[in-house]
Amino acid sequence: MPEASLSAEQRQRYARHLALAEIGPAGQERLLRSRVLIVGVGALGSPVALYLAAAGVGTIGLADHDHVRLSNLQRQVVHSMAGLNRSKVDGASRTVLALNPDVRVEPVEATVDEHNAMELLARYEVIVDGTDSFYARYLLSDAAYLLRKPLVHGSIFRIEGQVTVFVPGRGCYRCLYPEPPPAGAIEESEQVGVLAALPGIIGTIQAAEAIKLITGTGDPLVNRVLLHDTMAMTFREVRYRRNRACPVCGDHPTVQSLADYHAVVGAEEGRR
Amino acid sequence: MTTGRHHRQQILSEVGEGGQQRLERASVAIVGLGGLGSPVALYLAAAGVGRLGLIDDQQVELSNLNRQILFEECDVGRPKVEAAAGRLLILDSALRLDARKESVRASNVQAIVAEYDLVVDATDSFETKFLLNDAAVLLRKPLVHGAVLRWGGQATTVLPDGPCLRCLFRDPPQAADIETCEEAGIIGAASGVVGSVQAEEALKVLLNVGTPLSGRIFQHDGLRGEARITTFPRDPGCPVCSPRARITDLSRYAEQVSPRGHVLT
Repeated sequence: MPEASLSAEQRQRYARHLALAEIGPAGQERLLRSRVLIVGVGALGSPVALYLAAAGVGTIGLADHDHVRLSNLQRQVVHSMAGLNRSKVDGASRTVLALNPDVRVEPVEATVDEHNAMELLARYEVIVDGTDSFYARYLLSDAAYLLRKPLVHGSIFRIEGQVTVFVPGRGCYRCLYPEPPPAGAIEESEQVGVLAALPGIIGTIQAAEAIKLITGTGDPLVNRVLLHDTMAMTFREVRYRRNRACPVCGDHPTVQSLADYHAVVGAEEGRR
Repeated sequence: MTTGRHHRQQILSEVGEGGQQRLERASVAIVGLGGLGSPVALYLAAAGVGRLGLIDDQQVELSNLNRQILFEECDVGRPKVEAAAGRLLILDSALRLDARKESVRASNVQAIVAEYDLVVDATDSFETKFLLNDAAVLLRKPLVHGAVLRWGGQATTVLPDGPCLRCLFRDPPQAADIETCEEAGIIGAASGVVGSVQAEEALKVLLNVGTPLSGRIFQHDGLRGEARITTFPRDPGCPVCSPRARITDLSRYAEQVSPRGHVLT
């Protein structure tokens, strides 16, 4: 794409990207044409939405069924008092559009579940998991694989967080965690503490990974998971491979559509 | 029952009610409201740090908005401190904010650093980074350093009696070797990672929990997806924090340090 297709205003707004060898005018054009779905507009979704919007990702789908509560504002920085008790998708859309009106937001005020996941994910080229439940993590991973879409996974728990990228055929969430934790072992997320900036660290790494996938640059976190302990302030990389026996992306998959979802071992236990 | 604003943080055993009160009583100077200062200010405000010094002499420019998520398009042309204060107050109107439209220089660094419990270096100039380091060491204030360029950056925490920035890098690089964000470019999310790490470090130091990055430097390469921590010791000949210090007095800073931040021999 020639630089001329960026407007004078866009050349100013994205000047710091145009200066980067890995982005440049062609990469910026690519970002502006891209479509990213962020599922969950909470602790992780906040920095993801802000940084992808700032970067000029042209279309951002924001999916969340929830409303903004006072206790969200301790870490969900895309929201504010102005959006209290209103839909998270609506509040986040306003913040994102005020930052960058170049962005088109597609609001999805719904829970992503086995009934709507395929249709929704199919409309985007990169999916970012900003959810906080095991059910959603397995569901997004399965749906993204079935649609052959890359998925940027991130999660936090108390003082720890992790990020990895699932590229179809190179492993999925089930390859990394074949079984959900036993139901009793999972605390309700409202009862789990989190220090304010931890989701910022994990969410911004997710945003950077999404930008790398869109622009086809750098080494995405494929087949490696970055583990972070925020109290110790350590980062550790653990490698993993596609599990040939994986029921979804293995050599002999037993799950070939989300219609089979209930047949998948662990899916129900994972529902929280 | 309505859950309180900081409930999710208070239920962490590392924080508790006492820790949350400690944050509310704490004050932090955020020097620089750009790519690093944006997440630092948002997360410290969200966490409930009672008083924030917002220090920056610039105005919001359109080319800031690829990474400076504290601002909106309608802020272009406004002083950053004013726009930032407005944004933070809609997050939490109970915050005490000092909007200081000034740059940090040898002549005012003492007054600024002395007034806060902790300083976050979110600037983009080497002279200011070394000036803040020297002031923090001499005034025995904790400092959270951060720097970014292109796809990555670094952060470290300087604690009183711990190694400082000059133990690691004695002097700033030569002018000819310095690349600016304007020339080299930067990805917003890269400044988001380092700024979030800085915010987390500031919270840990204020709460006196966990292991801060004292004597350790976090280096992030977003392009390769790598985050490393490297340890570094105190330099027994450090020009500011050792018994052989040559930088000893902020009121005589110009005699001891060059305008570019180099130690004068």
